[in-house]
Parts: sequence; C-alpha cells; structure tokens
Amino acid sequence: MMFTGENIVQIVSDFLHWIYSQLGISSLAGVIDPIIAAVVMFLFIAVFVMFLVWMERKVSAHMQSRIGPNRVGPMGLFQTVADAIKLTIKEDIKPVHRDKIPYFIAPIVTFVATFMGMVVIPFDKGMVVQDLNVGILYIIAITGFTVIAILTAGWSSNNKFALLGGFRSAAQIISYEVPLVLSVVPIIMMTGTLSLTGIVEYQRQAGYWFIFPQIIAFIIFITSATAEANRAPFDIPEAESELIGGFHTEYSGVKFAMFFLGEYIAVVVSSSVAVTLFFGGWLPLSFLSFLHIPGFIWFLGKLLLVIYLIMAFRWTFPRLRVDQLMDFGWKVLIPVSILNILLTAAVWLLLYGKKAL
Amino acid sequence: MGMIKYFTNIVSGFWNLMVGLSVTIGYFFKGTTTVQYPEERLPLPARSRSMIKLIYDGEKDQFNCVACLMCMKACPNNCIKLEGVRQADGKRRMTTFKLDFSTCIFCGYCVEACGFDALTFVSEEYENAVYKRGSLLQDEQAMKWIRPIQPANQEVLK
Repeated sequence: MMFTGENIVQIVSDFLHWIYSQLGISSLAGVIDPIIAAVVMFLFIAVFVMFLVWMERKVSAHMQSRIGPNRVGPMGLFQTVADAIKLTIKEDIKPVHRDKIPYFIAPIVTFVATFMGMVVIPFDKGMVVQDLNVGILYIIAITGFTVIAILTAGWSSNNKFALLGGFRSAAQIISYEVPLVLSVVPIIMMTGTLSLTGIVEYQRQAGYWFIFPQIIAFIIFITSATAEANRAPFDIPEAESELIGGFHTEYSGVKFAMFFLGEYIAVVVSSSVAVTLFFGGWLPLSFLSFLHIPGFIWFLGKLLLVIYLIMAFRWTFPRLRVDQLMDFGWKVLIPVSILNILLTAAVWLLLYGKKAL
Repeated sequence: MGMIKYFTNIVSGFWNLMVGLSVTIGYFFKGTTTVQYPEERLPLPARSRSMIKLIYDGEKDQFNCVACLMCMKACPNNCIKLEGVRQADGKRRMTTFKLDFSTCIFCGYCVEACGFDALTFVSEEYENAVYKRGSLLQDEQAMKWIRPIQPANQEVLK
C-alpha cells in the first residue's frame, strides 16, 4: 500500500470512527472530527512555528557568518522551546489606562485570524481540513482580518508608539491586499477554480507549475505576502528603531507570544498559498517521482524553501520608509499586476482562442 | 519616455534586489567565523601582554629577582611591594614580592625596567577574573613562572 497523505487521513479517520462506535457517540462525529482536526493542526503549527523561529535565527546567523543558537539541545533546536516557556511564565504587565476588552481580545483575534487560514491548505491530496471551493478567497479574506486586530491592539494600548504602529499597519495591509489579490487573479483565470486542491490538480494535469508562466505574479505575490505578514523589509508597523515594538509595544508574556505566533503563522499560510499556487503543492518533481516520496513531504520541503526566501528578504533588504512603501505598493505592484492580468488574458486567448472563455 | 523609464526602473531595482539576495545567500553557505571561546581558543601571539610573572630559575632553585627595586620605582601606580635581604655570599635576594593587580595597568614599565630578567609578560594566562578583589594581590608564589625549556619569543621582549 502506498504511504500517501490520503491513506494516512483515511486510516486516522477510520480509527477515530471505530473509537466513536465503541464509545457509542458515532452521531457526534460531525462535531468531534473538526475539533480533533483543529487540535492536530494547532499542535502541528505550534511545533512548526517553533522550528521556524529556530530556523530564522540560524538563517540570520549564517548570513552574518555567525553560528546562532547552539546551546539548548542538539544544534540549539530547543532554544525556542526555552523561549516559549520563558514567555509563558513571564509576568503579564498591562498598562493602567488601557482599553480593557479590546486589549485582551486583540492578540487572540490576530492569532485566530491567521490560524484559520490553515483550514484550506492542502498538505497532500485529500490531506486538507476542509477543501472549500472558495479556498483562495477565504484565505485572503481571513488573513486580512489581522489588520483589525493590529489596529485594535494599537488603539487599546493607550501608547503613541503602539497607535502609530497600528495605523501604519492598517495603511500597509490595506494597500498590499490589492496586489496580493491581483497577483492571484491570473492563476484563477487559467485554472477556472478557487479551490486550492483544484489549482494543484490543474497543475498536475497541465504538467507544469505556475511559477514558469506566472513568474511576475509570483514575485508580486511573495512581496505582498511579506508585507501582509508585517515582516521586514515591510515591518514599519513594528519598526524597532522608530516605534519600539509598534502595535505590540505594551504587550508582554503570553499575549506577546500570541502576536509573535500570529506573525509566523501568517508567514506559513502565505507561503503555503505560494507553494500551492506556484510550485504545484504536493506534486513531486517529475524526474524524482520514482522515489515515491509522500506528497506532504514534498509540500513541506517546498514550504521551507519559500519560507527561507522570505527569511532571506528579511535579512537582506533595508526597511522601506512609509512613503516609499506606499509608492511601491500603489505605483509599482498594482500597475504591474494589472498588466500581468492583461498579458495573461491576451496570451491565453491567443493560445486557446474562444474556447478558453 | 516616462513609461520606458518606469519599467527600466522596476527592472533595474529588481535586479539590484537580486544582487543583494545573492550576496546574503552566498554568505549563508559560507562557513562561520565564530570561535566558541570556552571550548575553542585562538592562539595568542607570543608577545601578547597578558599576565606579569616572576621568573623562577629551576636549576638554581631561586627567583631571578635581586630586589634592586627598579620595578617598584618604575611602577606608575605603586602597585609593586618588594623586599630583599643581603645574603651571606653578599648578593641581594628577593624575599617578598607583592603585585596588586587591582591597580596594575599592565603598562609593562616594570618588565622594561628589570635588568635581571626577573619579570616578564606571559601570553597564555589571560583569564584573570577573580571573585574577590583581594585575590588580585598576588605574591611571589602566585606569580612564580618557570620558563619553558625553549623560550619561544620571550627573549625578544627584553
């Protein structure tokens, strides 16, 4: 039997339903299944984000000819575990004049909004929590929700730096949402589906990954995704040298960890979307398909490569000024992505004629 | 015209970003330069001035110091305290030698002033941190140093 993501999901769900039948709660399967899926996804993402923080520190270190964390555990792998423990046992310092309820809700919202994006990510054929037929639209909508949380955090902290960070973030995310969506449009035009699984299936049938015809879209997408995740060089909402910590200046302990986790999950989600749209998701490289490596391993490998690229951005490019950021978003990314749509449509029409419509 | 400049700007800007990325990613695959100090140590130059030591002559079983007090006079901080006696054979010998490293600035005047090859800088001992200030007041036993059989470059210091 082939060891694929689909089979693993099948085995696990068979096992779970056997347990339900033994416990006599088969009728509740529709309620319990999503909860288990969410818990599994949360555990995966928590471990993965810890790994990513370690990876980021290692990548930055090696780019600066340093070693990076290497004391806690083998190659410093447990450094982030130690950091997470430190963050959770820290005192939760709250500003006295904060707006209590929004201050409490903001980190939760930013975490939940980014985490919900994981729902439609197809790790392998059939290995997806819920294959929505509007998957890509759902992800764009749900990750855009973080701007509200960030604005809330900035406002409720009652701190001028936090407020400035929140405003900057709102301006930035709203500006960069547009090229993000526009860069996805050509893919949707070519595949005719919004489902992420469907897009990967199309790439499998077509026999090429969309990175090749849509390199411009990929560049725009990865740039806007970096901006969406508030990462350098687009990290003006939390520019350390200007705004202390930006919107999370007044947060400490677990709440700060939530923002931190949210930022990294945003990176994971947007990189997953990039892998799915442009690198063929779980599809193997055709000349390596004889190895029968499971699809989710391929997916994770490609995911790590894209995340590495985003990390390389952070440790290479200097931060943009606010006006440069807006110039770049509105005067470069949006016109170029619109041109890309027109170009794709023209080529598509020339190649396939009227039947493409 | 403006249109062409707009696109060439984009392309050249993108190209510059790629150049930057290639530099950092190139460094990512190069080795690290970090020396992990307590486990790894860089060899110090032989003449590096780490610690002042009193040379002990193993063959004659005595310090080279003859208590001429030149080092004491040369010391700008008066951190050397030194006593000597005239022995039966008429030669002066050092009896007590105290150097307070808490006030010593390692200027090396005492080593320069010494005409009897009795004081020297030693390069190997550079971990001189102590827990109590009093531990920095070293006497002749603490500063005792026997020159290795083949002195590397210590001769050049004199």
